[in-house]
Amino acid sequence: MRQSFAFALAVAVFLALPTEAAAQASGLPRTPDGKPNLQGIWQVLNTAAWDIQDHPARLGVPAGQGVVVGNEIPYLPAALAKKRANFENRATADPESKGYLPGVPRIMYMPFPFQIFQTPGEVVMVFEYDRGVRNIYTNGTPHPRGPLNWWLGDSRGRWEGDTLVVDVVYFTDETWFDRAGNFHSDALHLVERFTPAGPDHINYEATVEDPNVFAQPWTMRMVLYRRKEPNVRVLEYDPGRLMDEAQARR
Amino acid sequence: MLIRSSGLVIALAVTMSAALTAQNAAKPTTVGGCPAEPAAFHACALEKAKTFTPPRTRSGKPDLQGYWRGRLAQAFSVEGVSGNEPLVGSRVMPWEKAPPMIVDPPDGKIPYQQWAIPIGRIGVNHKQYVDPRTTCGSGGVPRLALQDADQILQPDGDQFVVWLFEDHHVQRVIAMDGRPQLGTGIKVTNGDSRGRWEGNTLVIDVNNFNGYNWFDDSGNFYTDTAHIVERLTMIDPDTIHYEVRVEDPKAYTRPWTLVWALVREKEQGFELLEEACREGQRDLDSLLKAGFKYYFDPPWRGR
Repeated sequence: MRQSFAFALAVAVFLALPTEAAAQASGLPRTPDGKPNLQGIWQVLNTAAWDIQDHPARLGVPAGQGVVVGNEIPYLPAALAKKRANFENRATADPESKGYLPGVPRIMYMPFPFQIFQTPGEVVMVFEYDRGVRNIYTNGTPHPRGPLNWWLGDSRGRWEGDTLVVDVVYFTDETWFDRAGNFHSDALHLVERFTPAGPDHINYEATVEDPNVFAQPWTMRMVLYRRKEPNVRVLEYDPGRLMDEAQARR
Repeated sequence: MLIRSSGLVIALAVTMSAALTAQNAAKPTTVGGCPAEPAAFHACALEKAKTFTPPRTRSGKPDLQGYWRGRLAQAFSVEGVSGNEPLVGSRVMPWEKAPPMIVDPPDGKIPYQQWAIPIGRIGVNHKQYVDPRTTCGSGGVPRLALQDADQILQPDGDQFVVWLFEDHHVQRVIAMDGRPQLGTGIKVTNGDSRGRWEGNTLVIDVNNFNGYNWFDDSGNFYTDTAHIVERLTMIDPDTIHYEVRVEDPKAYTRPWTLVWALVREKEQGFELLEEACREGQRDLDSLLKAGFKYYFDPPWRGR
């Protein structure tokens, strides 16, 4: 039922956007299935890892224009108070400071590269930060039966024209959006859209829905840039290991 | 399938060990039509590989894709476990009697240099250091492939082979395009993997190790000068012969070879689950309090 609905939706969207799809069809690298070929190493060039909203420079923090559409995040009143407390206590309260998996979408805009791979049934993302892996199934399978609490959630993807749309659920309430204390609960539901804008850019959009924390859904938007250095590789930044190593040498 | 996820958040060494023991209890007598003993399996599998034609990807490469689990391997010691080992039958983390996984040299022992024997052979590493895997890091190459389920992907374009491991969410990206090795100033836990096809065999050259990994629970080790060559060959549609040649001029007198099997996980709808580890880690503090040290200044340092 759920699958047939998704299929119907995909068909409807496809039919609604034929000219856009056709316009983008030229010039884009494609897989043998005719899908946009997103494979390669990508990285953001923004300051969302520090703060997803507009912010002035702070010591060690570059000033930045936010990635939140409209800049305001519609926190419920109690959640806004928690966000402010998180900000005050961020040095120790930020899950990043413990070397934990950073959650989605945060892992997408950490200042580290990640690599996308595609097979007919799956899009896999491999992250330099904390050995993160996202298995995004594009084989039509639904989310498994919950409840589940995963640090990077459960991702199911589908193509709408040239856009990879990923539905992500089953998060923990222990990850944040940034180093400024923006947060969510385990009811987070994320819809990500990866739309290629030429061979070396992807327009990335994440719509955030979490009725425990926000009055209504809101959206982040940013560009993923292809890393083009010869022999560029995703290396390793394992924060837990590096923290342990620092502790061992103290 | 999802029953597997309960308790995954906490990867307790004790639990893992008990699970492996349970697996060993149901040992089959053959694997891929070959004897279920590493040395005999090795000889038989090399013969079978000569006549087996593997399935192909749509680009014509041997198709190793799917979910796999290590077989003929045990976590305690690549040199095997003799019945006299005190940890056999131990109440906490019992070891099982097992044959060596080493097929060369024929005595099944790692050809350690003299100084390295008291460190690696149920020695200083085992008695004084926290197993690096217990700290939620990568199990390392090749130990990763004998822990939980793993997945091989051959993405479009054949530029890379991706090998994902459920154990502590570890990933390996194997470059298949002949690119140069990373500079020697870059050391990574799982090494820099560059692969090629030799007939139907996926051959992976791995360099640039930081040397912070063990082969097994007992502390057999390599250093930061190790060079590992893995060979993956299908011998039937559901079995891979996995051969690992290890050389390390700092620690051994000669190269040596480990073998085990990877057997296809065929459970309907099987997927890798997220195995967070550090996020639920509870063992480490007690091990550190008990006097075990982190393996970041390993006893081979300075050699």
